Amino acid sequence: MEHKLLTEHYHRKSYSTLEGYKERGGYQTLRHALLKKPQEIVEEVKLSGLRGRGGAGFPTGVKWSFLPNNKEDRYLLCNADEGEPGTFKDRMIMEKAPHQLIEAMLISAYAIQAKKSYIYIRGEYQKAYLLLLKALEEARIEGLIGKNILDSSFSHEMDIYLGAGAYICGEETGMISSLEGKKGQPKLKPPFPAVQGYLGKPTIVNNVETLVAVIPIVKQGAKAYRQIGTERSPGTKIFSLSGDVLNPGNYELPLGYSLMDLIYDLGGGMRAGHSLKAVIPGGSSVPILTAKEAERTRLDYESLNELGTFLGSGGVIVLDDSRDMMDILSIILDFYHHESCGQCTPCREGTGWLSKLLKKVCKGMSSQRDWILIQKIAENMQGRTICALSDAAAMPAISFMKKFRNEFEQCLYENTNSSVKGVKESKHA
Amino acid sequence: MPKKKISCQINGHSIQVEEGSTIIQAFKKLNQRICHYCWHPGLSVSGVCRLCMVEIEGQGKLQIACNTQVQEGMKVSNQSEKVKTAVRWGLEYHLINHPLDCPICDQAGECELQDQYMEFGSYDSSMSERKVKKRKVLDLGSKIVLDTERCILCTRCVRFTDEVTKTHELGIFNRGDRSEIGCFEDKPLNNNYAINTVDICPVGALTSKHFRFKQRVWYLKTAQSICTGCSTACNTYVDYNEEGIWRVRPRFNKEVNGHWMCDKGRFLFQDMDRKKRLHMALEANDKFWNFLETKVAFEKIKTLLENKTAHFVLTGQYTNEEYEILLKHFSNSVFYIWSQEGQFPKFDKLLLREDRNPNTKTLKKLFPKIKPLTKLEKNKNEIPLLFVLGPENLIFYPDLEEKTKLFSQVKSLVWLGLVKNKFLVCKENFFQIPMKSSFEKTGTFTNYKGLEQKIDKIQSFNSQAVSVEDIIKLLKTDNFKLKEDRAYFKQNQFLNSNQKIW
Ligand SMILES: Cc1cc2nc3c(=O)[nH]c(=O)nc-3n(C[C@H](O)[C@H](O)[C@H](O)COP(=O)(O)O)c2cc1C
Ligand code: SF4
Ligand code: SF4
Ligand code: SF4
Ligand code: FES
Repeated sequence: MEHKLLTEHYHRKSYSTLEGYKERGGYQTLRHALLKKPQEIVEEVKLSGLRGRGGAGFPTGVKWSFLPNNKEDRYLLCNADEGEPGTFKDRMIMEKAPHQLIEAMLISAYAIQAKKSYIYIRGEYQKAYLLLLKALEEARIEGLIGKNILDSSFSHEMDIYLGAGAYICGEETGMISSLEGKKGQPKLKPPFPAVQGYLGKPTIVNNVETLVAVIPIVKQGAKAYRQIGTERSPGTKIFSLSGDVLNPGNYELPLGYSLMDLIYDLGGGMRAGHSLKAVIPGGSSVPILTAKEAERTRLDYESLNELGTFLGSGGVIVLDDSRDMMDILSIILDFYHHESCGQCTPCREGTGWLSKLLKKVCKGMSSQRDWILIQKIAENMQGRTICALSDAAAMPAISFMKKFRNEFEQCLYENTNSSVKGVKESKHA
Repeated sequence: MPKKKISCQINGHSIQVEEGSTIIQAFKKLNQRICHYCWHPGLSVSGVCRLCMVEIEGQGKLQIACNTQVQEGMKVSNQSEKVKTAVRWGLEYHLINHPLDCPICDQAGECELQDQYMEFGSYDSSMSERKVKKRKVLDLGSKIVLDTERCILCTRCVRFTDEVTKTHELGIFNRGDRSEIGCFEDKPLNNNYAINTVDICPVGALTSKHFRFKQRVWYLKTAQSICTGCSTACNTYVDYNEEGIWRVRPRFNKEVNGHWMCDKGRFLFQDMDRKKRLHMALEANDKFWNFLETKVAFEKIKTLLENKTAHFVLTGQYTNEEYEILLKHFSNSVFYIWSQEGQFPKFDKLLLREDRNPNTKTLKKLFPKIKPLTKLEKNKNEIPLLFVLGPENLIFYPDLEEKTKLFSQVKSLVWLGLVKNKFLVCKENFFQIPMKSSFEKTGTFTNYKGLEQKIDKIQSFNSQAVSVEDIIKLLKTDNFKLKEDRAYFKQNQFLNSNQKIW
C-alpha cells in the first residue's frame, strides 16, 4: 500500500493552483511555522530523522545546523535539476503541487533564516517551470512571498532558475557555480556550501522532495513522522518505478517497503512470459541488484546498504530477462562519459575509457583481460574526485561486471558467433 | 601578528608549519617528494589533477594534499601501497589520451608528465583503445602556441590569467574528455605576462613562439641572473649554450617578483643576438666608421682626454660597482643623467615599473648633484670630451635619435653601447665602444625599494666588450689587457633565431 503523506491530493487537478492548494489546507503549516522560533523547526527536522532525498541521504536537520550561527546573509537552494536516470519524482511534485514546494521552501527558509531562495530547475522541465513561475506569481500577489509574510517579521524572496540540461548541475556545488553564472562545475570542498556557498555565502541545498517532506514534519511533529517507515529510516519516500514493469510510475511508500511488493503488487510485475533479471534500486548511479538479491530487500537506507547498494534518488529501474546487461551498462557509461564536467582527471578520462571499453564489449571485440581492467579503472575512479559523478560511473561498472560476468563472457571475441567476424549485433548503435 | 605554529608528521618526519598551511606545503618544506600537476605555489588551489594523494592516519579515504589543511598532530604519508596505486592510476588517466609526442615536443626534457611518470608511474599502460583526438598548433596570439592534445587540463594557465593578470583570456571550453583550453573570442593571449603560462604549463601544451623548436633543453645550461628591464629587477634563470642565450625565465623571489616576470623583460636578451651586436670598437672619420680593437681605441681616447675634464652622460643601467669606480676616478668631472622620467606608463601593479632602468636608485644616490640633459645642451660647446654610458636596453630609450643628435654636437665623444648607434654622426674623434651586457659582467643592482641584488657573469659573448671598470683600467693604467674570453659565435646548429615559425 502506498502511504500518501506528500502526494495525498495529487490526483486533484486544482491542487496545482493557489486556490486549490489552499482548499486542502495549503499554507496553514507555514502560518503555524512562523509562530515558532526558527531553531525549533531545525530541531524538529533533526528529530524527525529526515534524510536528503536527492541521492546522498544526508540528514537534513544536521545539514541545516552546519550553518554559522550569525546574522550573515544565507541562501536556500532547491535542487530541482533531477537528472539522475530513472528518477522523475520531483517533476511530479512540481507539476502536481507547485505551491507545496513553495510553502516547504518558505518554512525551510524561515528555519535557516534565509532571506532569499532559488529553485534550480532542470532545463527540460518546461511544464513544471511554467507552473512554478505562475505559482510564484500567485504567491507573491497573495503576500506569501515578499515583505512580512503573513504579517510576521519574516521577509523572503524566491526565484526560479532554469538550467540548461547538464546533469552535473544537479550536484550541489555544480549547481551553485551555474547559478553564479559560471560554467557548471562542482567546486572543491572544503569549504562546504553551508559555510561558503552561493556567492561565497552560507548556503543550504536541498532536493525538492526533501523540502516538501518538511511540511508534514512541522505540521504533525517529528514524533508522528517517525511513526512512518522504519526506526532508522523514518518517513515516506517517493519511488520512481520504471523499466520492465507493467505499471511504471511514482509511488509514495513508507521506507522499509518490500522491493518485490513495489514491483509486483504496485508495479504489476513483468510482461507475460518474462522474469525479473535485475533491479537498479536508486537511480543509474547505484550498484545493481540481481533478481535474487532484490527478492529479499526492503526499500530503506540500511537494507540497501547491507546489499552494498544505495537508496539514492529512489529511481527503481527494473530489468527483465530480455535485457542484455552489457548493453545496459554501455548506455549508462555513455551517459556519465557525456555528462562528466571534466575537471578531475580520473573522472574525465575514466568515464571515457570505460565507455569505450563497453562499446568494445558490446561489439564482441573484447578479451578476457577487459573484465579485470574495467573493474580496475572503475575502482580507481572511486573516492578520488571532487564530486560523486566519478563514483556514480564506477559503481555500476563494477557491480555489472561482478554480478553479470557470464554476460560479459558471452560477449567475448572468442565466444561470439564468428561467422560475421565476431561482430555481435549491438542493440544501441 | 605571526601565525601560530602547529606540528605534524610527514612520512615520519616531524615538522612545524604555520597554522592554515596545507599538507602539500609541508611536503615541500621537508623536500618530500609528492606527485602533483595542478597545484602551483603562486596560484589558488584547484584540486583537479587528483595526484597529490596522501593517507592521513585515522582517515580511511585518501585525501588530496593541496586542499587539506594540516591539523595539530596529524600524521600524513604518501608511502603506502594504497597511495602509490592511486598515484599510478592517476598518472595512467593523465596519459591515456595524451599523444605522447615527446620526440617532437618542445617540453621534452623538462616535462612534468615525463618526470613524474618516471618517478611515480606504472610504465606499462593498459590503454589500447583509440585516443581522443584534439586540435594541435592553435595560435593563441603573438607569442604563444597551444596544443590541446598535450594539455592535461590542470587549469594553471587559466588561473594565472584569472588571478595574477586578471585579464581572463583563457578558459576551458566543452566538458568531459572533450574539454579544451582556449582563448575567448577576440581575446588573444597577448598580455605582458603571457609567457608565464608557458613556464607553469607542466607539459608541452603551451609553448612560446620565441623558443619553440630552437633548442632541446638538455643542451642548455642554466644560470641565475637579474632582469634589467625595470627597477623591479626580477630574478631570472638564463638558459644558454655556446650558441648564445635562448630563453630567460623567472626565478622565485618572494621579496621581488614572486614566481613571475614580464614578457618585456623576458625578451630583452634577444638584443644579445650576435648579428645585432657591436663586436669591435668603431672610430669615425668624416665618411665611415672604421673597426678597431677596443684597446687601440682607448689609446686614442686617452690622448684626447689628457689634461681635460671629461663630461659623462649616465643612464641607470650600470652596476653599483661601475658607478662607484667612475666616481672614484672622475670625481671632478661633470655628470648628466639621461633619464626617461614620465615616458612610460605608471607601475602596472604587478611587476613592471615606470622606471625602465635597473639601477636609477644607486645612480641618484651616488651622484646627488647630477645635471639634467638640458644643462648639456647649454654646455655643449665647452665640452672637450663626452662619454655617453648608453643604455643596454635601447627599447626603453625611445628618444635615442633625438638625444644622439644632441650628443653629436660636442667636439669629441665616446659612446658605449651594446649595438651600433646608427644615429651618431660620423665625425672625427667620435668613438663607439662595445659594452658588456648584464649577462657578461659581475656586479650589483639596487632595485626600486633599495634591495641590492648581485649578478654574476654567465658567459662572455664578445671579447672586445668592456664594462665601466674595464674602461677605467684602460684609461688609467698602461698595460691593461682585456681578457681574451672565448666568445660564443659558434654556428647555430638548427634554426636562424629570427626565422618565422610557420
Ligand atoms: C553528479 C551528481 C548529480 C546530482 N544530481 C542531483 C539532482 O539532480 N537532484 C538532486 O536533488 N540532487 C542531486 N545530487 C545530489 C546533490 O549533490 C545534493 O546532495 C542534494 O541536492 C542535497 O539535497 P538533499 O540533502 O536534500 O538530498 C547530485 C549529485 C551528484 C554527485
Ligand atoms: S568527479 Fe567528474 S563531474 Fe565531478 S567534478 Fe570531477 S570531473 Fe567533474
Ligand atoms: S595548457 Fe598547460 S597549464 Fe593550461 S591547463 Fe593545459 S596543461 Fe595546464
Ligand atoms: S617587471 Fe621589470 S624587472 Fe621584471 S621582468 Fe619585467 S622588465 Fe624585467
Ligand atoms: S596537486 Fe592536488 S589535486 Fe592536483
